[in-house]
Amino acid sequence: MTDVRRFEATVLPLLDVAHNLARWLLRDAATAEDAVQEAALRAFRYFGSLRGGEDAKPWFLGIVRNACFTALARERGRADVTLLDEDAWDRLEAQSPSPMPDPLAALGTRREQLLVDAALRALSPPMREVIVLRELEGLDYRDIAQVAGIPIGTVMSRLSRARAQLKRQLSLAGLP
Amino acid sequence: MNDDDLTRLLKQHATRHPADERLRAAVRTQMTLQAAAQEAPPARPSWRERLASLTRIHPLLAGSGGLALGAALTMAAVLIAPRLTPDGPLPDELVAAHVRALQVGPLYEVASSDRHTVKPWFQGRLDYAPTVLELDSPLRDQGFTLLGGRVQSVQGRPTAALVYQVRLHKIDLYQWPVDRGAAPETLQRRGFNLVRWSDGAMQYWAVSDVDGAELQRFASAWRTAAAAH
Repeated sequence: MTDVRRFEATVLPLLDVAHNLARWLLRDAATAEDAVQEAALRAFRYFGSLRGGEDAKPWFLGIVRNACFTALARERGRADVTLLDEDAWDRLEAQSPSPMPDPLAALGTRREQLLVDAALRALSPPMREVIVLRELEGLDYRDIAQVAGIPIGTVMSRLSRARAQLKRQLSLAGLP
Repeated sequence: MNDDDLTRLLKQHATRHPADERLRAAVRTQMTLQAAAQEAPPARPSWRERLASLTRIHPLLAGSGGLALGAALTMAAVLIAPRLTPDGPLPDELVAAHVRALQVGPLYEVASSDRHTVKPWFQGRLDYAPTVLELDSPLRDQGFTLLGGRVQSVQGRPTAALVYQVRLHKIDLYQWPVDRGAAPETLQRRGFNLVRWSDGAMQYWAVSDVDGAELQRFASAWRTAAAAH
């Protein structure tokens, strides 16, 4: 039972980060929950492979992202609204014309959230992955490299491309 | 806009999706069931522990619905009434694994009707290469379709499980390396049928709720196909 306790103490607190990552990578809530559950079960099975003293966060997030990309691959061929939700974007643009300055302050926060979320959704999954891990979850490059299974150099170049795309899109929308 | 502006925008405005209570409960339930299944079956003095672990499941049930309740009760039945047979608790463990896969899932982690997808999937997940049969085999002609495969903990070891379907029934086929052959033998546990055999290289166990004759038909079709493979 000690393994269960250790797992509860180290992995369960990471479910929030795990679910946030999964939800940002996958198209709907149900798929994201499935991926997290699948990842948690797998992590539990292979908990022994986590060395003593090793940071569980990148280890577990790596399992989560693999479950997500497996799910994405499974869905390939279906229309993927997560990848590029053009309709939502068009609607947003129509509802919130960018030249309008401040009078819509009441709508402000919500509008910014919609714009930021839409810009994140417009990224390809590999770019969205590094941005979520870096900007929302604050992981360092080394951990992101471990989670995504890519070299640190690739993490940095993906981040910089993702940032450029986000800045372009958000500036076009009139942010900040 | 510079990088810092962007970071600030993302931090302030991007939606966060924390795990909700239902997901937490589901994960904990799954974990408890898995832990119960992984507990080394011969460790018999741990009755207290088993009962304790069962009561520990209880508070989790509130958040995770009847499915978990069903699975937990199934596990309870397995844990409370281990039958002593020449095979030890193995048949019970296999039936429990089959039931849990059906109820809680995943029934298969790699989905396919093509062994060229399923077989390579096991690479790196097991320390042996399981035999996977589907196409070009008489199995399909006899109505047995390969749905996919998963890695299942059996007696604490990662084990290949293939999932076949016949009509509406699912058949789990577990296999692991052995060095002795054995003729097919049929067993029953809690309404499930099991057939075990060995070809001298692999030990096979088929588990399903199809009737015994049908499962034997599956075993013999498999043996024929594997011999020709």
